[in-house]
Amino acid sequence: MESGILISQSDKRPIYLQIIEQIKRRIAVEDWTEGQPIPSIRQLAVDLQVSVITVKRAYLELEREGVIVTQQGRGSRVASTPGLGLRLHQEELQQHLEQAVRLSALLGIKPTELESRLREAGANITEKETS
Amino acid sequence: MKGSVVWTLILSDLHRHRTFILFSILSGGLALVLIQVGGELPSLLGTIWFFTGMIVLGCMLPGSNVINERKKQTLPFLMSLPMSISQFTAAKIVSTFGIFFVPWLTLVITAVAFIAGHKGIPHGIIPVVIVLSTFVFVGFGLNAGAALVTESEGVMVASMIVTNSSYGFGWYMLARNPAIGAGMKSPVIVWSKEILTVLGAEFAVIVLILGLTFYFQSRKRDFV
Amino acid sequence: MTELAIKFAGVGKQYRYFTLHNIHLEVPPGQIMGLIGPNGAGKSTTIRILMGLIHQDHGEVRVLDHRMPAEQVAAKWDIGFASEDMRLYDAMTLDWHMRFIRSIYPQWDPAYAQLLLKRFGLLAEQKIRGLSHGQRVKATLLLVLARRPRLLVLDEPTTGLDPVARHEILRELSAVMNDEGRSILFSSHNTQDVEQISDQITFIDRGRIIDSMDKEAYLDRWRRLRLEAPSGIELPALPGVINIRQTGRLAVATSNEFVPGIARAYEQSGARIQMIENMTLEEIFVAKVEHSREEVEA
Repeated sequence: MESGILISQSDKRPIYLQIIEQIKRRIAVEDWTEGQPIPSIRQLAVDLQVSVITVKRAYLELEREGVIVTQQGRGSRVASTPGLGLRLHQEELQQHLEQAVRLSALLGIKPTELESRLREAGANITEKETS
Repeated sequence: MKGSVVWTLILSDLHRHRTFILFSILSGGLALVLIQVGGELPSLLGTIWFFTGMIVLGCMLPGSNVINERKKQTLPFLMSLPMSISQFTAAKIVSTFGIFFVPWLTLVITAVAFIAGHKGIPHGIIPVVIVLSTFVFVGFGLNAGAALVTESEGVMVASMIVTNSSYGFGWYMLARNPAIGAGMKSPVIVWSKEILTVLGAEFAVIVLILGLTFYFQSRKRDFV
Repeated sequence: MTELAIKFAGVGKQYRYFTLHNIHLEVPPGQIMGLIGPNGAGKSTTIRILMGLIHQDHGEVRVLDHRMPAEQVAAKWDIGFASEDMRLYDAMTLDWHMRFIRSIYPQWDPAYAQLLLKRFGLLAEQKIRGLSHGQRVKATLLLVLARRPRLLVLDEPTTGLDPVARHEILRELSAVMNDEGRSILFSSHNTQDVEQISDQITFIDRGRIIDSMDKEAYLDRWRRLRLEAPSGIELPALPGVINIRQTGRLAVATSNEFVPGIARAYEQSGARIQMIENMTLEEIFVAKVEHSREEVEA
């Protein structure tokens, strides 16, 4: 089964995080649906040409978060929780928002100013899309 | 299963030297053709050429089959094969002597047959040809043994210098012996006591060299 | 199969100008172990002892549950070995070498060999002397891979190769992991390769193992912290930080045992943390070796 996952060397983050993110994204866009089998740890490791231990780490983390389920001898599959895709989408947005908050704190921007900046960004995007 | 690794190695060494072997036989054959042509000078040249070809083979072979494994860095490739160091050294001894023996024996038999069929050459020379050829075998054995045991190019070259220098001396001593000299001119094969003694000594030395080589090789513990 | 693929216990070897000290190594089956270290550290010596080509002076070596060097013949049936200083017979063709290996090892897979020829872009009829460096390395690896050995021992398998050739080889080495009974030990200067496919990493420097562990756990212990220290602030020396370099108001701290407490400690001292970064294996390697050498000299 083609995983379609690609590890980027220019991405500075650890490989296991990239794997986690890309699997979540696949589920979020509903390429991989609830309950669907996914490549086994070894299969994915061979496919991505990364160590088994890295994939194992990613899968363990995903299982901990309830995103996938691994059964001894049966392989791994996407968790059967309904609305998983949507939940992951929300989590990703939340992460970006928290990152924005952290960054603005670093730059010394207060949360109220951040709100108006967010509205400004929304307006910019609408403008770009309609022009 | 174990035996076949050794055998495969021996055959592969022989195969890799097939041009060597063929060339040596052809070279010796051409030397005999030259003698066939007749006349004092061609016969002399042909005779020298015949033995020189054998000597050269005996010099190049230890370098090519033994020293080169280390020089050309093919040793790790062989060392990774499923065989022990004693199996490896045994295979090398057999293949090195084998690659020499095949053309050597062919040339000796061809030369003997040639002389036997040739009206102009006294058959009494046959034992001398055999003795001289075996002398070259002894020289080769020394070079090969030195190369196999020491794995040193320097030692091998030193051995070659010693053996090459001794041929002329040996042949001279042989020709000086009155019994052997007389036997050479006889129209029939004469196995004089002197000739047989020399031949016996040569074979004994070859056996000794082989024995010592096997012995020293068996004492080696490490491949590296 | 629960036996270790490779086990070194207390292995030592003394040479005139170099000593291998007390080497402990364990590689369970189904894993890839990457061996890294500076030149002359002892990687090749360790590998040769592993192959039974050198006798260790003391210590136990077991490879695929065979004692080495005593049982090296039995072991070598299941080991595929390739080293950087190894050459094939110049005057012979790749096909000759394939037939040579095939006649010795019954496990030779001719279909896979043909596939590898295609994948590596090699012509079997070509003489070895006509091959480029990269093609020769690939040819040597083909001879090892097509036998599907249980253990692969490779000394610098990707050194000196162009990126395409490297990728081709990593692809085949990764494919070995499809079979969880097969293992690989490889040494490499290419820390990126080691970082990518190794399950375990072992560091050797000056004849000693300075680290040997799970790659993910190892990479996770190291961080680079970029700090801003306003003038007058003295940055504290913290356990778990092996190096701190300060230029003006900016400082870079290298931690080999990172815990969030370290970041908090810096913040409490008045410094501001700009960034906490993971480090590549290469960066860890250099930091580690430099630190080890400082410790020895102290």
